[in-house]
Amino acid sequence: MREIKIIAFGQIAEITGKELMLEVKDLDSLKQNLIQKFPELSDKKMAFAINRKLVENNITLTENDVVALMPPYSGG
Amino acid sequence: MENYNERYARHYALSDFGFEGQQKLLKAEVLVIGAGGLGCPVLQYLVASGMGKIGIVDHDVISLSNLQRQTLYSTDDVGKKKVEVAFQKLQQLNPEIKINIYPLELTSKNAWEIISDYEIIVDCTDNFATRYLINDACTLLKKTLIFGAIYKYEGQVAVFNDNPKIENRINYRHLFPNPPKPEEVQNCNEVGVLGVLPGMIGMMQANEVIKIITGLGEILDGKLLTFNMLNYEIFTVDISNENSVENLIPKNREAFELTDYNFLCGISSAGIQDLSPEDFIEKISDDQTLTVDVREIGELPKADFEHIQIPLSELNDRFSEIKNKDLILFCQSGKRSLKAAEILLEHFGNQKKISHLKGGITALQQIKNGKNS
Repeated sequence: MREIKIIAFGQIAEITGKELMLEVKDLDSLKQNLIQKFPELSDKKMAFAINRKLVENNITLTENDVVALMPPYSGG
Repeated sequence: MENYNERYARHYALSDFGFEGQQKLLKAEVLVIGAGGLGCPVLQYLVASGMGKIGIVDHDVISLSNLQRQTLYSTDDVGKKKVEVAFQKLQQLNPEIKINIYPLELTSKNAWEIISDYEIIVDCTDNFATRYLINDACTLLKKTLIFGAIYKYEGQVAVFNDNPKIENRINYRHLFPNPPKPEEVQNCNEVGVLGVLPGMIGMMQANEVIKIITGLGEILDGKLLTFNMLNYEIFTVDISNENSVENLIPKNREAFELTDYNFLCGISSAGIQDLSPEDFIEKISDDQTLTVDVREIGELPKADFEHIQIPLSELNDRFSEIKNKDLILFCQSGKRSLKAAEILLEHFGNQKKISHLKGGITALQQIKNGKNS
């Protein structure tokens, strides 16, 4: 288990706060952990970026990784 | 110098840009979809910079609440068509370039034809249905797409389909494969927006257009930039195309034209009729019909026609109050009324005829404001 830094944007940050730390081993457990902590996130759409690279599939997280939670914006 | 034009003297003087850069701009053909908060600055700066051909798509009329951010329009313009006023103002700004206007709502039926006529497409729309439609059309037609979107104090900018190698191309579906449902996101009408934000994001979109055409700097190709106007923080991520999204995009023109993007985004739903503001006004005057405001108590503006109020949050406990067969629901933007319609459809099945006001009371007011001027 490593402490992973998470930064959130837009609507997601309104639920989680702009930054938080979680002890997780991979992206899947990070997602589960987030939803446990913030049930409102379960019906929110977001993309995950690890160290500024978008990630789709599960991946092991290592110390000092930064995970960004990016929701879609549509305003114009 | 042949073709020297004093108008562009500061471009000619600029190192790495010069006369050649200007000549490239003067050959470019750019389509701007949406002439609102993002579209206004994009259009102003592209037209000023001297493009070959600019297209503008928008079906809306100017409303008073647009003016705090849509800088092409004046108070006297309220009620007029955006594309017509934009055309006039932009022609005054630069009468030397060709401007085409399309006073219509972009749909999968008309998008192919319009987008085909341009090289670069700028998405300045304000809803997911049109954004996915534009993304899919640009991907199929292999057009470079400049994406821009805002939420409260933040904005996103990205460039899609610009990579010379087709296998390296990235589009919006690599970021968000499927459109969100209406309840998963909020729109500008509901959350508000500070006027300068679309200005800043629109300017970044215009900048990407100019850089792409002239070959300057680094393009946000396949990258998503998030900008925070409160602290000037910029966060850029690389979008990956390791997962294929090919099967999510219609296969060809025919399949694209048959796709209902409003339905995909949950904006329209089978068994529930969408009403335009005009249809709404006509239908509510029928005394067999029950008109229901599903907004929460105290939300403004108040409706100035006969109706009852059952907030969406109380709907499940108040089915017994709904006795009429014909129901018309409305809310602020049309999202909650659709949600309420789905709940009622599930409860009453085919016993009731359910319709809702698409675009909500906001759309209704725009029509009314338009008529008054």
